[in-house]
This record gives sequence, structure tokens and C-alpha cells, in this order.
Amino acid sequence: MLVLGIESSTARSSVALVDDERVVASASLGIARRHGEFLAPAIRFCLTQAGIEVRDIHGVAVGLGPGLFTGLRVGIATAQAFAAARQLPTVGLCGLDVLAFEVRYSIRPICVTIDARRGELFWAFYRSVPGGVQRETEPRVGRVDELIAEIEAQGEEVLVVGDGALRERHRLQEAHVQLGGPEIAWPDATHLAQLALPRFVREETVRPEQLLPIYLRQADVRIGWEQRGRLRGGVAPEAST
Amino acid sequence: MLVLGIETSCDETAVGIVEDRLTLHANVIASQTDLHAPYGGVVPEVAARAHLEQLLPTIDRALVQSGARLSDVDAIAVTHGPGLVGALLVGVSAAKGLALAHDLPLLGVNHLRAHVEVAQLEYGDLTPPLVALVVSGGHTSIVVMDEDGTFRQLGSTIDDAAGEAFDKIARFIGLPFPGGPEIDKLAWGGDPSAYAFPRAMQHDGSYDMSLSGLKTAVVRELRRLEAAGQEPDLADVAASFQEAIVDVQLEKTLAAAAAEDIDQVVLAGGVAANSRLRQRFAAACETNGQRLVVPSIPLCTDNGAMVAASGSNLLAAGSSAGIDLAVDPNLPLAG
Ligand SMILES: [Zn+2]
Repeated sequence: MLVLGIESSTARSSVALVDDERVVASASLGIARRHGEFLAPAIRFCLTQAGIEVRDIHGVAVGLGPGLFTGLRVGIATAQAFAAARQLPTVGLCGLDVLAFEVRYSIRPICVTIDARRGELFWAFYRSVPGGVQRETEPRVGRVDELIAEIEAQGEEVLVVGDGALRERHRLQEAHVQLGGPEIAWPDATHLAQLALPRFVREETVRPEQLLPIYLRQADVRIGWEQRGRLRGGVAPEAST
Repeated sequence: MLVLGIETSCDETAVGIVEDRLTLHANVIASQTDLHAPYGGVVPEVAARAHLEQLLPTIDRALVQSGARLSDVDAIAVTHGPGLVGALLVGVSAAKGLALAHDLPLLGVNHLRAHVEVAQLEYGDLTPPLVALVVSGGHTSIVVMDEDGTFRQLGSTIDDAAGEAFDKIARFIGLPFPGGPEIDKLAWGGDPSAYAFPRAMQHDGSYDMSLSGLKTAVVRELRRLEAAGQEPDLADVAASFQEAIVDVQLEKTLAAAAAEDIDQVVLAGGVAANSRLRQRFAAACETNGQRLVVPSIPLCTDNGAMVAASGSNLLAAGSSAGIDLAVDPNLPLAG
């Protein structure tokens, strides 16, 4: 079984072809504003270098965020269209889950935190279980103070990974933490595809149009309105969540 | 050759299918008007979210309407500018997914050119040279398509697009978004000469336009009447405001046609659905002996058929894009 993984919900975007035994091919880029141009050529690169035809792909896995809206939609739109065109099953995964999976052998509780920009972070807590990790809290968005309070509440040393941990390392060092480095700071398509693979085997898949981003906040709606709506005479409606 | 065109540059998720450049097989639009109405204008983040939810179902409906399957399609065309960057990226990303999946050529369409080229679906091959007025919520430009099919921009609005001015004034007098069709309707019962609103830059010899002064003048007049305790006749206001916009567009477009010695005029874009604009252009072109080309209203407002038509022309000319096609929110008309 061959799975195409697409992950572009953070400042790093990546694609990978993974089968039951190995990562067949992968490519990644750490420049966020180039997501839109990177993904499709990267998929073609992986296919060509591995000598694989499109018809050999059995499923498409994609990161649903939470993350940066634009990159997130670039990945999902690419995955949706590709899968729909080939009538392939799809699996969407939370990017925080993918990062936690990368550190699944940790003996400590795991906190994954992604840079949400504008002074905020996305995060969720995990624990190792046989074969992977279990998410213990729902993904949320907030400020570093709130994150530190939740880490302290764990009552033991926590492994904190993600680009949010890199950004806030000085504040997080106040708390009882072990910080992950840049090698595990962004969810990656290879891990995404590996995590998704058993779901394709078990047929726990969705149709491409059911792949939708995890939006943890509506803030950009307000910002968008500030830029466009008022100029056109709009009145901001009440903020919704 | 069957071309599927995807349009997501603003607030319409649209897909069209065109065969052999001239035959329209499907034109499906999922409008987001209701989503943006509470804001009185298009909110980019709301638009991008809705495009992602609507695009696959819209592609599906277009295929059903055309009776074709995706495997029958020969190329994928997509608007890559100008427009809202987040909105454009949804369409372009999906187009790349489709193109990769079936190893199809990808065609990067210029939204403004597509507004003009869509006329070929109803009028047959356009025979340039022609002068076109491209007028909508996002753009107000006078352009020339030369004999060799290349485009030149002669002038454009230096501030608001005409559709934007319609929205703003509609909102001010309490009409819902989008304002263009509402003003058009209201103006039918009004006297276009009731108020002498300014026609900025009308006789300055350029092909540029300015609409913000007109907007201000309308607002100021309504405030003045209110302060004087007089009830304005809103139909008269709407008709006079609309007439001022139409006057400038008409005069500048026809001046361009005369200066370029071109006897063919094309109306394009969402505001080309305005009944007064169509009526005045029809009358003027008949008087001048010019041929007027005006697409039907569903092909004037943003749609996928125009992208498929323009893409078909690119395909015929052998100019397909690479799979790394970038979006350009400020994509210029020429070049
Ligand atoms: Zn348009």
C-alpha cells in the first residue's frame, strides 16, 4: 500500500510517498510563503525520482492544522483535488498529533505547540501508549502564559516540542520542561503518511470533500474585515467562534 | 479539446467547461454573496474558507452538467491573478492537484483578459482590434486587444472600482450587498438628471477615472438634505449617481475607440450587467456605427466559463504554465 502525504500547515511544507516498509521519497521546504508553488512540483519530483506512476498511489493523507491558514488550504486543496481526480480515499490528520507521533518514545508527558503567529500558540498534550501516542487534551489556541500554567499543572517534567517551543524557549524554561530542538519543530509529511497508513489499511478513511481545516480561531475574519469591509462601508458583525 | 476552468479570485467559486474554444458545456457558480453580505463587502478570509468548501462540489456539478468525466478533460485552466491571494491559492492548488492526477497541461489565466475573451462563447471568435471596458467590483479598466491578440491597458480607475462605488452608495442609502443590482433596480424609477453629481476627469484627455469624489458628493448631498429636513427621492439619487458613473465610462471608452480608430467595443465584468450601462452603450454604438459585444449577464459576472475560454486560447497558442504556477494578486493585464 502506497500513501501520498502532504503537510503544509506550518512554516515548513513537505510531501512524501510512504509504503508499509519505508519512506519511498520525500521533499520538504522551510520557506512558508512558497507553499503554493512548492507542493505540486515536489509531488512530481517524488513520483519521478521513485519511478512511481500516479495510478500506483492508494490513498492521500493531508495535515489539517491547526496552523497558518493559507498554507493549510494550499495543502488541503491539492490533496482534495488529486484524490478526487483519482477517486482515492483520504485521511486528514491534526498536525499536533503528527508531531507528537514523532516523539512517541518519550517517557515524559508530551506537549506539542505550534506558532500561531500574532503572539499566540496552538497546543495539545499527549502521553505515550504502545504503538504511538494518545492525545489527552483538545487542541487549543492561547498565549504562552496559559500554556505555562497548563504545563505546571501536569506536576512532572514535560517534553515540549514544536516551533512554538522554539519561539517561546526563554519563557518555557521558567517551567519544568525539556525542550525539543528544530529537528522536531514542524510536522512532516513522512510521519504524517506513516501515521495515516494503518487507517488506510483499516479503511478508516473519508471522501476528499470531507477534508476540512481545523480552524481554532476566527481572528483572521476580523482582520480581513478591517482591511476590506470598512473601506466598503461594512459594519463588523459580532465576533463568532 | 475540452478545457475545465476554475475561478476563485474573489467571492464566486466557479467552474466552467468549454470545448474547442467556443462551445460552452457547463458553467456552475457557487456564490458566496450571503456570507459576505453582513460585512457589506468581500472579506478575504471568509472567501478563502468558502472556496475550499465549495470547490470540489462545484467541479462535480460542472462535470455532471457537461456530461463529461474528468478523464475526458484535456487541460485544466485556472485564474492565477489578479485577485485575493488566499482565494486565488485555493483554486490554483486544486487545479494543480487535478493536473497532476491526470498528467494534464495547466493553464494560468489572467482574470481581466478572461472577462473579455468570454465573449467568444456567444459571439464566436473575436476579431481584434477591439476596445474593452472591464468593469466590476474589483476593477475598472479600459483596454485594447490588438490585432495579434495582445492586450494593452489604456487607463483605469485611480481609486475605487465602479462596483465598489455601487456597494458603498447602496449601503449608505440602506440597500443590501451587493449594491450594483439594487441601485440598478431602484434607478429605474428615478430621474437621472435630478442631481448634478460630478464626473471627475471626464474631459481630461486621459483614460483614467476617479470615483471617490462622486461617492463623497452623493453622501454629502444626502447629508445636506437631511440637515435641511428634506426627504430625498432615493430613486432620483440612485439614477443620478448611476448616470454619472455611466457617463464617464461611456465617454472614455468611446474616446479610446475613436483615438485608436477601432470600431468594435466589448463590455466586460460584473458591472457590465448594469442595465443603464448596457442601454447607453447600445445606443451610442449604434449611432457611431460601432459593433458592440456584450456577453449575457451570467458571463459578465465572475464565472468559470470565462476561465475555460481564456484557457482554451492559451492551450491553442501552446502556452501552458508549469506545475509551479504562482498566484499574482496584482497580475497586470499586459504581458
Ligand atoms: Zn471579475
